[in-house]
Amino acid sequence: MSTHEPVNILMVDDQPGKLLSYEAILGPLGENLLKANSGREALELLLKKEIAVVLMDVSMPDIDGFQLADMIREHPRFQKTAIIFISAVHLTDVDRLKGYERGAVDYISVPVIPELLRAKVSVFAELHRKNQQLERLNRELERRVAERTEELRESEAQFRSLANSIPQLAWMANPDGSIFWYNQRWCDYTGTGVEETNGWGWRALQHPDHLQRVIEGIRRASSAGEPWEDTFPLRGQDGSYRWFLSRALPIRDASGLVVRWFGTNTDITDRKQAEEALVKSERLAAMGRLAGIIAHEINNPLEAISNAFYLLREHPSLDEEAKYYSELAKKELERVAHITKQTLSFYRESERPVPVSLCELLDDVVELQSRRLQLNNVVLDKRYRSSGVIHGFPVELKQVFLNLIGNAVQAMPDGGRLRIHLFESKERHSGREGVRVSVYDTGTGIRGEHAKKIFEPFFSTKATKGTGLGLWISRGIVQKYEGTIRFRSLRVNGGNTTCFSVFIPAKVIRNLADPVASSGTLGQMVPSQYGSA
Amino acid sequence: MAARKPIILCVDDEDTPLLLRKLVLQKAGYDVVTAGSALEALKIAESQKVDLVLSDHLMPGVTGAELAQQMKAQYPHLPIILLSGVNEIPSGAEFADTFLSKVEGPDRLCQAVAAALEGTS
Repeated sequence: MSTHEPVNILMVDDQPGKLLSYEAILGPLGENLLKANSGREALELLLKKEIAVVLMDVSMPDIDGFQLADMIREHPRFQKTAIIFISAVHLTDVDRLKGYERGAVDYISVPVIPELLRAKVSVFAELHRKNQQLERLNRELERRVAERTEELRESEAQFRSLANSIPQLAWMANPDGSIFWYNQRWCDYTGTGVEETNGWGWRALQHPDHLQRVIEGIRRASSAGEPWEDTFPLRGQDGSYRWFLSRALPIRDASGLVVRWFGTNTDITDRKQAEEALVKSERLAAMGRLAGIIAHEINNPLEAISNAFYLLREHPSLDEEAKYYSELAKKELERVAHITKQTLSFYRESERPVPVSLCELLDDVVELQSRRLQLNNVVLDKRYRSSGVIHGFPVELKQVFLNLIGNAVQAMPDGGRLRIHLFESKERHSGREGVRVSVYDTGTGIRGEHAKKIFEPFFSTKATKGTGLGLWISRGIVQKYEGTIRFRSLRVNGGNTTCFSVFIPAKVIRNLADPVASSGTLGQMVPSQYGSA
Repeated sequence: MAARKPIILCVDDEDTPLLLRKLVLQKAGYDVVTAGSALEALKIAESQKVDLVLSDHLMPGVTGAELAQQMKAQYPHLPIILLSGVNEIPSGAEFADTFLSKVEGPDRLCQAVAAALEGTS
């Protein structure tokens, strides 16, 4: 016999002798044989146990076979229980039909042929066993499906929360590179949803300068099935572009076929800017060191030459022509000295700051420029609202305003107005108190592309006339005072107005004789042509 | 009666600049003694009357600022002018009365010398 799990076979007959004979016939099947002497007993057993086959006599006192079959069938648990009727009487076809209507699966007439009964019961027992196995398998399958579904749901939820929590923009694309899913950050940054940027719609967010290259890169990667990487700007919802390092990996199925791409875009704008700033500041520092070294190497021989010419010029043996030449040489030497002094102006003439009147200092600078002002036909407009006496180092402060006013005058070769403002002021964002000097000119203006460079060393728009160091040095000096220097260049009524404004945080000294009152420089020397607003 | 010419002790490790500086100062009406190093300058100051020290800062061995410190320790009222071609004020420069850039030229040099002597008279 097979090592199968035995099933229960219920035998119902009011005659114990018959039950014994069925037991003998079915014994070799190796199943559990249960005996019931009446329909009632049979029902009790049915309710207690799982029955595979019911073998029952049709004619029994109390409840007959047909009635019992009806009762059994009413119970949902026994809908499919196999019922075999055994009967010595009622063997008409109508009787058989009646039996089948009640769900009998077979009908055996007396005399019972043992082999036949055994074979029939065996078939139904086996069928029941198979059904049971199938049900078990089904239940197991359902359980596993449920488990897997839950796992998937969890992993899907995990994936989404992960994809939405990373700082990157993330997306998934089909094997051809068309995108079908974006994370929340993508939507937040771009201000678009999956609908707008689905497929290849993201191209609208690409900077036009990079689009072609990026698409080619994606095509290459997707046809080769190799990881993709590129760096390009993407437009945010505010319309500005930020730089992203973008990467995508192919996801393959078991056969190695690419089924999708998973990609991210990492915002590297800040990193890029920091790198650029670092390079720039390193370059500036290197230039500063270089300028210092060069200036120092020039200064030593320059002093000797200046002294030599000083002596030569005064020498009695010189005739007029030689004196003229030495005078020329002296002037040129002064130019060299001026340049190295500019690069050298980081030195302070005294260790301790002294009271400096910006008012007087500005007048000195204007005085130095007076010839140029006349030559260039520039109208001067001074508006000093403060004595501007602060603690500082006069030479370097003078250097700052000599540069600013000198630049302003040079920017007006064909005439214009130079306006100098001096007033006490509070810096808006920091609230620091201090002095502000603004120098306005109506000259050539500052071109947009030069705006970022004008404070860099060796940047000059004056061709051979400038050293390109003036503003750089000026800013260095102002920064030593923890001050700021900024400029604005506007086109107004067809002309340019450029303003350089220096803010020096300092307390204005009041107890000195106020040069504003005494020198009479307060107010306008010439009527202002500017609007009074 | 004519006053005695002020005596200036000029210090520099380089001969030519030292000589030219001496000639400029002589032309301006001073008596000048020279020293090629800080140590030599200290020896001279011990042995003779000096009214002002004009020293280069960047010299091998003892620097001008260090010389100024030592001089001031011994002669607190002796005016000292420090000359330099460098663009940063060296540490110790505060021991000198005046710090002057070499590029200022002979006129400024003479003015600074005169002003320093003025302060002591």
